[in-house]
Amino acid sequence: MKYDVVVVGGGPAGSVTARFAAEKGAKVLIVERRQEIGVPVLCGEGISRKIDDWGMLEGKRWIASTMEGARIYSPDKTCVTLSADVAGNETGYVVYRDIFDQELARRAVKAGAEIMLNTTATGLIKKDNEIKGVKVKQFNEEFEIQTDIVVGADGVESKVGEWAGINTCLKPTDLETCAQYTLTNVECSDAYCDFYLGKEIAPGGYIWVFPKGKDVANVGIGILASFSESGMAKKLLDKFIESDHRLKKGEPVRFLAGAVPVSLPVETVRDHLVLVGDAARHVDPITGGGLTHCLEGGKIAGEVIGEAVEKQDFTKEILMKYETGWKNAFGGKLKRNYAVKEIMLDMDDKTFNMLADSLKDYKFEELSTYSLIKALVLKHPTLLMKLKPLMKMSKEV
Amino acid sequence: MGKPKALVDRELCLACGGCISVCPQSAISMHGMRAFVTREKCISCAICIRTCPVGAITGEVY
Repeated sequence: MKYDVVVVGGGPAGSVTARFAAEKGAKVLIVERRQEIGVPVLCGEGISRKIDDWGMLEGKRWIASTMEGARIYSPDKTCVTLSADVAGNETGYVVYRDIFDQELARRAVKAGAEIMLNTTATGLIKKDNEIKGVKVKQFNEEFEIQTDIVVGADGVESKVGEWAGINTCLKPTDLETCAQYTLTNVECSDAYCDFYLGKEIAPGGYIWVFPKGKDVANVGIGILASFSESGMAKKLLDKFIESDHRLKKGEPVRFLAGAVPVSLPVETVRDHLVLVGDAARHVDPITGGGLTHCLEGGKIAGEVIGEAVEKQDFTKEILMKYETGWKNAFGGKLKRNYAVKEIMLDMDDKTFNMLADSLKDYKFEELSTYSLIKALVLKHPTLLMKLKPLMKMSKEV
Repeated sequence: MGKPKALVDRELCLACGGCISVCPQSAISMHGMRAFVTREKCISCAICIRTCPVGAITGEVY
């Protein structure tokens, strides 16, 4: 069995990489350990509307609801509103990630990619230290798949990077540990995503309420693993729901656990190997959002891989075009927001309340972490002195 | 008696992969969509126990 490219993991980053490599004529296989693409969902399911410009998803079936803005609540419940009125249009979607992922996989297959389900990658095949393929297990059968390029799209717990000698181990300060209910019979009357901050509410993270239709919402929590104790994420989420009048009548139709890397990106390229998506740590360290980077980075990866296959040159030098590409697209933003995350972790609840109070009537230019940081720097030039150089670092939203 | 080693309750684990990503010894992997600790590699640091969002990992003395 021989392919040009084997993609380990059929999530968004894997499918988009597979699609764009296949469109360039590469023979591509996606191996997915689960029995269904996109299931179980491991995600808050919010995404920026800028994906509309990329045209990677057809139809509307993957959209649960359209968002007009976001509200951020400080520990004393002071509300900062980032609304669409200011930006001039709707700002984001809450999606059905299972349908979303399957739509991306469909496009990969349409481009010529193949998919193997129930297939777990167990290691790399190497000859004289050169990657030659992937060892897999399908039900009880173990076999080898030869390939010129391996794509590690295997998520937060990525093993592919580790097998290739890339250090992907996360420090507890660089992981958000998460839990989420999809609740029905809740009152979410407007199209706003709500975020709740505070050391008692979600240490080193936040609680989110993302409306998903008229009386359904994703209600979740992320806390920094370094502040976590066994089972704490779920306990704090249960406590929050019980204390919120809109949510406490709700009943769960889905519960999930999740893990989100909030580190700096890792090395993403080796000879014959590329890492994409959460495996590459392409996640905004402030919001924990990663979907847009999966799509943007996956497209760059797929195109560079396609060229490598055309040239039959699989060296790091050729594949480095991908790393340069994602660094240009969103690398500066990830670095900047990581630095902001570090500064925010030093702030106490009182500071958050004070910052929120100063922004409660602020008119934001757009709904983005960039505009939020910019407003904070303008309002508090001395307090947030450390943030100022970061603004020069990157204007990416 | 040795130090307690991490043990995953397969009934509680929801396969989020958080423990795998923070284990400094690469002692945890996914088996049949549940986290699994290779006991020989575990150094009893308890990072995985504290990370688990649903409390599916405990320390067991063998």
